[in-house]
Amino acid sequence: MSIEIQSIAKQFGSFTALDKVNLKVETGELLALLGPSGCGKTTLLRIIAGLETPDGGQILFHGEDATDTHVRERQVGFVFQHYALFRHMTVFENVAFGLRVRPKHTRPNNTEIKRRVHELLNLVQLDWLADRYPAQLSGGQRQRIALARALAVEPKVLLLDEPFGALDTKVRKELRRWLKRLHEEVHVTSVFVTHDQEEALEVADRVVVMNKGRIEQVGTPEQVYDTPATPFVYQFLGDVNLFHSRVHGGFAQVGEHPVAGDGAVAYVRPHDIELLREPAPQTLVAKIDHVRAIGSIVRLELSLENGDPVEAELSRDAYAVQRYASGERVYIRPRSARVFAEDYAI
Amino acid sequence: MQAVSTTAVRSAATQEAVWVCWLLLTGALLFLGFFLVLPLVSIFAEALRKGWALYWEALKEPDALSALQLTLTVTLISVPINLVFGVAAAWAIAKFDFKGKSLLITLIDLPFSVSPVVAGLIYVLIFGAQGWLGPWLQAHDIKIIFAVPGIVLATMFVTFPFIARELIPLMEAQGTEEEQAAMVLGASGWQTFWKITLPNIKWGLLYGVILCNARAMGEFGAVSVVSGHIRGMTNTTPLHVEILYNEYNFVASFACASILALLALVTLVAKTWVEWQTERQMAAERAAVYET
Repeated sequence: MSIEIQSIAKQFGSFTALDKVNLKVETGELLALLGPSGCGKTTLLRIIAGLETPDGGQILFHGEDATDTHVRERQVGFVFQHYALFRHMTVFENVAFGLRVRPKHTRPNNTEIKRRVHELLNLVQLDWLADRYPAQLSGGQRQRIALARALAVEPKVLLLDEPFGALDTKVRKELRRWLKRLHEEVHVTSVFVTHDQEEALEVADRVVVMNKGRIEQVGTPEQVYDTPATPFVYQFLGDVNLFHSRVHGGFAQVGEHPVAGDGAVAYVRPHDIELLREPAPQTLVAKIDHVRAIGSIVRLELSLENGDPVEAELSRDAYAVQRYASGERVYIRPRSARVFAEDYAI
Repeated sequence: MQAVSTTAVRSAATQEAVWVCWLLLTGALLFLGFFLVLPLVSIFAEALRKGWALYWEALKEPDALSALQLTLTVTLISVPINLVFGVAAAWAIAKFDFKGKSLLITLIDLPFSVSPVVAGLIYVLIFGAQGWLGPWLQAHDIKIIFAVPGIVLATMFVTFPFIARELIPLMEAQGTEEEQAAMVLGASGWQTFWKITLPNIKWGLLYGVILCNARAMGEFGAVSVVSGHIRGMTNTTPLHVEILYNEYNFVASFACASILALLALVTLVAKTWVEWQTERQMAAERAAVYET
């Protein structure tokens, strides 16, 4: 089922959580709402679910206005950040809850409920935990049970609020891949909220980058990472070096981007910084302060003559050939850069 | 388990001198003995001073029996009503946001801060013969003051905060996420309450009911104002104790008092049991978290 969000606005007191947001979620896709905390992503998710009422605008489910439809009737599955499992019920009863509360004429009988619950528990690979209580599970297990519970009611839309936020890094990585696989299996329209760019880029079909109640960019992970639409997206998705054209005269001109006057800023990713030992046109002089090898990459911290810091990344192989040492003077230039006008508010 | 072992192992570095320990301990025990144990013992001692036969006789006396019966009736009416209203009030306050919430919380606390005598007087002023509704009630032959309804009203007023006060912090701590989850899964408000909210608060609720029950049985001041002290009709056990005492009928007075004391002891045992249950449940939850 597709979801259409039309100029949805939400105000909390004097704080604008959502400023007339428009967005379309296509049927069957896995969409990530990405942004820093307070950007309105969770509010938007809760408005889609019906847990929050918008001040203005409309929500269409499959082309039909659902703005005033009660949460109960929206047929959405919602996975809460802290799972919100029913603590006094076993895992089995948690998953069965959505089926048991149905009105009599649509409620499946006990055998059917049993079959469905075990099917879902098998899907999340936790059937062996059916008789345990939520307090007896680990964080990752609770998250998967919460997901099974949300899927039990066969939702048309699956909404996940920071689904991996409360887990440690290793479990998080596992669950990410697992969620991706699950989505390929179940193929229900899904929206998840995250502040972790890596998570959004790895899991989602499309990423919506949000900031201060507005959408900055919508696109595939490649699109938002490689061609960020705004300086905010550039900075939020990964590390970036800023070069002010006024300060580093002429520097921003390199590549295919000409300088847009005095007040231009060039955004360059660390891995797009090229290091040279010999002077060349359109380079800046820099001193290497630190060299750190982190896994497959080597990160170099440099400083320009005026003291501005610059970060560069090399692959281990490239580093092995050049062997830069800290304290060394080098010449840097960007392989590619994006130029934005300076007055662009971030 | 962790907590137990750390408190059990105590080094000299964290412990006071022996004489300080003994001094504090003796002080506490003496205080406890004089103010709590001694009065309790004296009630039973006085009641039984002239033997079991007289004690039994005093309890079997029709006025004493009717007083006890009235006390139990009033309790049986006021506690369930307060249970319903207390849960409703706590639910509204803890799970919803609305205007005038803090005013409502203050109002719920009112019976705690107002003297019970004043509470009784309020009802006399409203329902009494010279009160606001007095003439109308008389015209329709409805008796509230100096009758059972007045006693029930006064008891309800005094015991109202017990259940709500017990539940509000508990429900606020639990938050509303489980309720929201139930709602998204298609549960109606009613189903959510019975299947999610109520099971989560059951021990706290029982605790509140026990406290409310204890106070309802023992209430004196407010009930004294509205009851009229009609023997065999509007006399509750606490009032009956006072009447007997004023008549220098000490054995009967203490005998009735001992019944109230017994009820209080039963309540305390029940309360302790509930506390123990809650703690055990919480400990089990905590232990389970550490295991995994």
